[in-house]
Amino acid sequence: MTRINVRSVKTLKRFIAITIAVMIITAMLSSCRKNPVVSSIEELNSDQYSIGVGIGEAGEAKVKKYLPNAKVVEFADTFSGYMAVAQGKLDAYAFDRIQMELAIDQGQEGIKLLDGTVGEDTEIAVGISPKTKVPDLKDKLNAFIAESRDSGLLDQMYTDWLINNKDQLPDIEKPTDPDFKLVVGTTGIVPPYSYYKGTELCGYDIELALRFAKYINADLEFKVFDYSSIITAAETGEVDCIMANLNKTPERMQEIDFSDCLCLMQTGVVVRDEDPEAAGSSSFADKFVKTFITEDRYVLFLQGIEVTLLMTVLAIIFGTVLGFVLYLWYRKGGRLADAVTSFFSWLIGGMPIVVLLMILYYVVFGDSTIDGMWVAVIAFTLIFGSGMFDMLKSGVNAVDKGQTEASYSLGLNDRQTFFGIILPQAARHFMPSYKAAIVALIKATAVVGYISVQDLTKVSDIVRSRTFEALFPLITVAIVYFILAAILTAIVSLITANVEPRKRSVKKILKGVRRDDRDITPS
Amino acid sequence: MIEISHLRKEYGDAVPLKDVSTVINDGEVIAIIGPSGTGKSTLLRCLNLLEKPTSGSIKVDGVEITDRNCDISKLRMKMGMVFQSFNLFGHMTVIENLMYAPCKLLHKSRQEAYDRGMQLLRAVGLSGKALNYPDQLSGGQKQRIAIARTLAMDPDIILFDEPTSALDPTMVGEVEAVIKELSKGDKTLLIVTHEMRFARQVSSRIFYMDEGGIYEDGTPEQIFENPQKENTRRFIKKLKVLEFELTGVNNDYVGMFSDITRFCMKNQISPVLKNKIISVIEELCFTIILPKLRNIDMKISIEVSEPGDEAVIKMSYPDAFDPATTDDDISLKIVKARTESIKYTRQNDRSIVKVVVNYE
Repeated sequence: MTRINVRSVKTLKRFIAITIAVMIITAMLSSCRKNPVVSSIEELNSDQYSIGVGIGEAGEAKVKKYLPNAKVVEFADTFSGYMAVAQGKLDAYAFDRIQMELAIDQGQEGIKLLDGTVGEDTEIAVGISPKTKVPDLKDKLNAFIAESRDSGLLDQMYTDWLINNKDQLPDIEKPTDPDFKLVVGTTGIVPPYSYYKGTELCGYDIELALRFAKYINADLEFKVFDYSSIITAAETGEVDCIMANLNKTPERMQEIDFSDCLCLMQTGVVVRDEDPEAAGSSSFADKFVKTFITEDRYVLFLQGIEVTLLMTVLAIIFGTVLGFVLYLWYRKGGRLADAVTSFFSWLIGGMPIVVLLMILYYVVFGDSTIDGMWVAVIAFTLIFGSGMFDMLKSGVNAVDKGQTEASYSLGLNDRQTFFGIILPQAARHFMPSYKAAIVALIKATAVVGYISVQDLTKVSDIVRSRTFEALFPLITVAIVYFILAAILTAIVSLITANVEPRKRSVKKILKGVRRDDRDITPS
Repeated sequence: MIEISHLRKEYGDAVPLKDVSTVINDGEVIAIIGPSGTGKSTLLRCLNLLEKPTSGSIKVDGVEITDRNCDISKLRMKMGMVFQSFNLFGHMTVIENLMYAPCKLLHKSRQEAYDRGMQLLRAVGLSGKALNYPDQLSGGQKQRIAIARTLAMDPDIILFDEPTSALDPTMVGEVEAVIKELSKGDKTLLIVTHEMRFARQVSSRIFYMDEGGIYEDGTPEQIFENPQKENTRRFIKKLKVLEFELTGVNNDYVGMFSDITRFCMKNQISPVLKNKIISVIEELCFTIILPKLRNIDMKISIEVSEPGDEAVIKMSYPDAFDPATTDDDISLKIVKARTESIKYTRQNDRSIVKVVVNYE
């Protein structure tokens, strides 16, 4: 009787599992159902179509105004939008028409531009931080723009970069005795305005920044953000101004100031190209060359790896020390230590990493000039330290209380007991979680692009924006993360194997002792 | 010399040690026995301050150890402890377990500590295990090494907290042998144990602990042959006791019989003996004695020894009345038929009737 019951329960479970799987697959398939490709912008004004737009970009407002029935999906970077359209996840993407023409021209596959534009032209201008320390920045910018327009420079730049696809910055000498420091926020992933050529920034906005810095005799520094955080960076004074083909929109004008108009921009729409002429034609070698060799892009990857590794290693070292110090304090007892340490581990452990990173960068260190890299190190030190504290706590708890009593009863004091008896045994309990925490940490660092740090992941975004190659850089980066994690855990294993008590040689156990072997049978 | 006076230890509501005072001389081997939960281990743990006494004083060689300024580490160096659960350091080999504290605390060189360690391992018969880890050893071996580890610090006093309780019976002997050997030396030993035979053989003095203190203190002969106090006698003879007190008029006689039945079942007393006990109490107590008392003030105790084949029923009351002089012949005959012996005595203005009932 019971056997039949067990079997029928098993069958029932299997049946339920299969049903759920089928439902999920059906749901996925139906959501993947592609709409037919439209042939005009007007057709998109229907609730069966979704249109992608850049976050806060003028295209967003225009799509909402002129194509009110379509669903709007926001994207932080344009390239992801193109990919979504090419793969049919999105019906269309609305953005700067010239930029899209260039992308298709340079090899972005699977999309085509529709005729016409959405709505009226939008002004592109320089965003100005309300907290900038450069005096009268807006007046200076407007004077510079007016002069440049009069001298024909602006038109020349527009023609060079946006129409003739110039790919070379002019030689502009840096001021030797600067009056100010000017921090310019830019994206680095939107050719031809702002992109990486090799390891150097290049483009219309970069030339503009260089010329303006010379005009006001300022020392120039670039910080790279994507559109989801660049406005925040200006708002909090991380950058003095934004030169990133920024559209002047009413929403943005509530947060930051704008200069006079640089040029006008039109919003175009791309849709899926169902009949690409040379779809997927490029070979693995082509992809490899494009991703790594052209413009020495491998240097960019190496720099990204260096940043990722440096952040991770420093955070591991400082975090381990921090966790240890906190634990020793907690161990001493006292209500204060208990309250503070548990609050710390609750606060840090319970917060999404991106949120912690942003709070530190924009709020805690908002007014200081500390580099994003160091803010990231601090954030990850806190995260790893809180993890280390918890690991120590549970590791020490796992050691039998009798060990402490035995040690005390021999006359060993608290310090000798903790470091000589308890910690070595606790280490065996928390070592596996310690290694897991390192792997988790190195993966977690991938979000530092939010605060203008160019780690491995950000580098892959930059390269993708230039090569229009989606999968190759992504997979490469994934493999590199695996390798880095493996290397770090291997190093930790090596260090800890050295202190693992069971793996010591007899010689090491009996260091400094002349052995009296007559009783010990070799095992 | 250890002088303990008015030692008290409380944990919240529980008070395992109410008031302990005694003096332990150098070289004495003291076995501490008694029922569970009577503060035997607590007493030991207070001596080396693994537990902080609530009040009272403990002087070791004239030094007050409960004093704030007392160097606890120094105290513990001359007072070793052996635990029920061995507590060998799991991350060290056997020889390192013996070397660690002497190197750290006695500032011995590693060679000196090693040589002494090996000597001690030989003494407990385990020098061949010097390079093994504790989890590769049997319980008995672990405990012998724990004793050697304690000896490596050369303490004057060693506290044994139930050293054989966690061992399986085949290993008890080897550990007891080591302790016995040790008892021949000049160290002061305090041994908490449940092994009565061992306690008797090894000790020069016994503390029977009960009712929150040292209930009876004497030589092994006195405690085992001729205990002076009631609880000690019951414990030594492994007696199970059920007591009733009848006063005034509102006594629960029905409840009393169901208590007896439950007590007999719990102690695996045969129904035959149980029925005898019940009928003796009915006839002798209720029919013969109770009607003769001017005021009802009677204590009844039923003691059953370990194998459960004999019961002793004692009744005490103030009136000078010997049940043998009763005029209720029938009842008396019934009682006599069911009992081995009936004895009447008078002590401290109370009559005591002692009845022995047999299984046969």
